[in-house]
Amino acid sequence: MNAPAPHSRHRPRLIAAALIAGATAMLVLSFASVPLYRAFCAATGFGGTPKIDAAAAPTDPGERVLTVRFDANVARDLPWRFEPEVAKISLRTGETKTVYYKVANLSDRETSGQAAYNVAPGQAGAFFVKVACFCFEEKRLGPHGAEEWPVVFYLDPALEREEGMRGVREITLSYTFFATKDPAPSKTSETASEKPKG
Amino acid sequence: MASSTTAGAHDHPRGLRRFLFSTNHKDIGTLYIILGTIGGVVGFLLSLGMRLELAYPGVQIFPGLAELLQGADPSMALDAGKNLYNVFITVHGVLMIFFMAMPILIGGFGNWFVPIMIGAPDMAFPRLNNISFWLLVSALVLAVISMFVEGAPGMRGFGGGWTFYPPLSSNTGTPGPAMDFVILALHLAGASSILGAINFITTIFNMRAPGMTLHRMPLFVWSILVTAFLLLLVLPVLAGCVTMLLTDRNFGTMFYDPAGGGDPLLFQHLLWFFGHPEVYIVILPGFGIISQVVSTFSKKPVFGYLGMAYAMVSIGVLGSIVWAHHMYTVGMSLNAQRYFTLATMVIAVPTGIKIFSWIATMWGGSISFRAPMVWAIGFIFVFTMGGITGVVLANASADKQFHEGYYVVAHFHYTLSLGAVFALYAGFYYWFPKMSGYMYSETLAKANFWLLFIGVNIVFFPQHFLGLGGMPRRYIDYPDAYALWNMVSSFGMIFVTLSLIVWFYVIIDAFMKKRLAGANPWGVGATTLEWTLPSPPPFHQFQVLPRISGSGR
Ligand code: HEM
Ligand SMILES: [Cu+2]
Repeated sequence: MNAPAPHSRHRPRLIAAALIAGATAMLVLSFASVPLYRAFCAATGFGGTPKIDAAAAPTDPGERVLTVRFDANVARDLPWRFEPEVAKISLRTGETKTVYYKVANLSDRETSGQAAYNVAPGQAGAFFVKVACFCFEEKRLGPHGAEEWPVVFYLDPALEREEGMRGVREITLSYTFFATKDPAPSKTSETASEKPKG
Repeated sequence: MASSTTAGAHDHPRGLRRFLFSTNHKDIGTLYIILGTIGGVVGFLLSLGMRLELAYPGVQIFPGLAELLQGADPSMALDAGKNLYNVFITVHGVLMIFFMAMPILIGGFGNWFVPIMIGAPDMAFPRLNNISFWLLVSALVLAVISMFVEGAPGMRGFGGGWTFYPPLSSNTGTPGPAMDFVILALHLAGASSILGAINFITTIFNMRAPGMTLHRMPLFVWSILVTAFLLLLVLPVLAGCVTMLLTDRNFGTMFYDPAGGGDPLLFQHLLWFFGHPEVYIVILPGFGIISQVVSTFSKKPVFGYLGMAYAMVSIGVLGSIVWAHHMYTVGMSLNAQRYFTLATMVIAVPTGIKIFSWIATMWGGSISFRAPMVWAIGFIFVFTMGGITGVVLANASADKQFHEGYYVVAHFHYTLSLGAVFALYAGFYYWFPKMSGYMYSETLAKANFWLLFIGVNIVFFPQHFLGLGGMPRRYIDYPDAYALWNMVSSFGMIFVTLSLIVWFYVIIDAFMKKRLAGANPWGVGATTLEWTLPSPPPFHQFQVLPRISGSGR
């Protein structure tokens, strides 16, 4: 360490500027973590994020047969009925499958929703590949409308070589439909009028 | 103001102006200590309320408190009381960390003694220092206001804990403005600390006296340096984290809302990326103080100086990469759990180096058991206790059992409430003669120590049993099975309360009796620069810079 020159006039400003730059970089990084987090999950299937492969299915079928269960939920503020056509199927790895979900709008007005999805257990995300899904876009249903929506997927045979998948016999695909927000109404006034008087 | 501030480094304002517009590092240090005392007393009163409530099973005092403090309607008082309990734990945690420990240890002792110990006349940016302080005052005001405005529907204050997890803290759990006040308080406190950190680092890098190399700096200065870097690294992340919460709440973004593709776990990652280093931010300056005190009263230089300095650096680095040990239960992959368990346990190594080096410093020294030394030994004892339960909790398998339970409460109070507070008292008694010019009463100081030592151990040791027995934290009530140890724990508050009263009396006594301390009341062991100045030091010290030849440890 050199002996410092305590009275150099510009050094303090330089140090402070470098430190401010560092702090700003951390602030930017904390916001950047949002897309980074998403990109990371999509790339690795971390935390049960299914892969998306809109192109095609793999050619070579695998060996193992697993059970895939289907789970369907609707958020409280969306007046929909939403359920899978079948509760579970069994599926060979590498085989592409289409499963339908039945949806119905129970209200008298047009409503729209967007599904969030995940698979369990978490390590299966990297091997659960969606080819097509109603969850890729926002969905609308007219008053009392009912429809059937498909999801097309396969299990990547690579899972047979993964240590963490050896004990996994069942994979659950779960959806939750949330109402897509209409241009946000002011929240406090809304909740104030909702809250029960007690 | 603008015209007089340029002269600020040389004039000597008096009265209100001296403190309101102060740019003097010692005055600002004093202000921080006073602010921290206020924050600490309020935080203590809140904890007293909680322990009174928890003394017996059932809900006794909080409904009444809610009527009294928040004007709750008697018909709603039970629910308002339950809510108020959770508001208390939240505000208690926030106050103790941001408005008691950090202001006193970093803003108070750091401002007072970092410049003096490195032979500098003042901080690098004196006016920035003033801004930091008043930002923190505003933050405290906002935090306290939050207790009295609407939070959850029909309730006042935010009760989701100092970790502010959504959806408790989002519009789902707390639609009212209480949470917005908390967020803004965090912004201001964060900005204050970031400015303070910039000031400390610049001061330490640029204003050391000739001969005061980095490797000759006293360990307290090292501890503040590492702390300042940690602050700079993690507080912007907290700012980003709560800003996203603020926009989620008010501007319709969906960062943490799964309905819009967000993820509440993102919040937990960001919060703990700040939160775990934060516990080291609170404890590292304590480590620095303990090193000074132990060396002074053993009349020996600290054992393994370089090891001590770099142990703090490595604690800072390691402390920044272990955050998810607070999140074992969120469904992380097994490999992630393995990593966070191991990395957390590795921190025990530099921490162990520090503990053993303190003991080695005392070993063979000619120890004098003056009050600061007694507090320091108390610190080593309680901090080691907290460290051991910390290693237990680092195990993902064990933590899943103890998560959100009283074992955790016992653990972090042994490290923070006892550890940081004991270090703080050690520093207080060590430097009080220097800051005020008067000697405290040794008898009273020791009474203060024994009351607090006995008190906090009675309060917190039984909480290990409660935690092992499965009592969850953040509840106002509990099944009768937990009644015994809760009673014991609350009983300990008698001693804690007395010790606080004795501490105030120590200060009053010292200022009334006016026993002059002299430049160096501690004798040959006190080798750092502050003991070469008169007590209290002159308004501007080191008009002629000291020259350092030997080690300044
Ligand atoms: C006499 C001293 C103290 C007593 C009796 C005390 C008591 C308590 C109690 C009863 C709780 C709530 C437990 C629950 O229901 O979950 C709590 C929480 C907490 N305390 Fe203390 N405390 C003391 C000092 C401190 C100090 C000095 C600090 C920090 C430096 C601190 C930091 C915290 C934190 C961070 C929480 C967690 C708040 C939360 O759950 O969000 N406490 N304390
Ligand atoms: Cu931690």
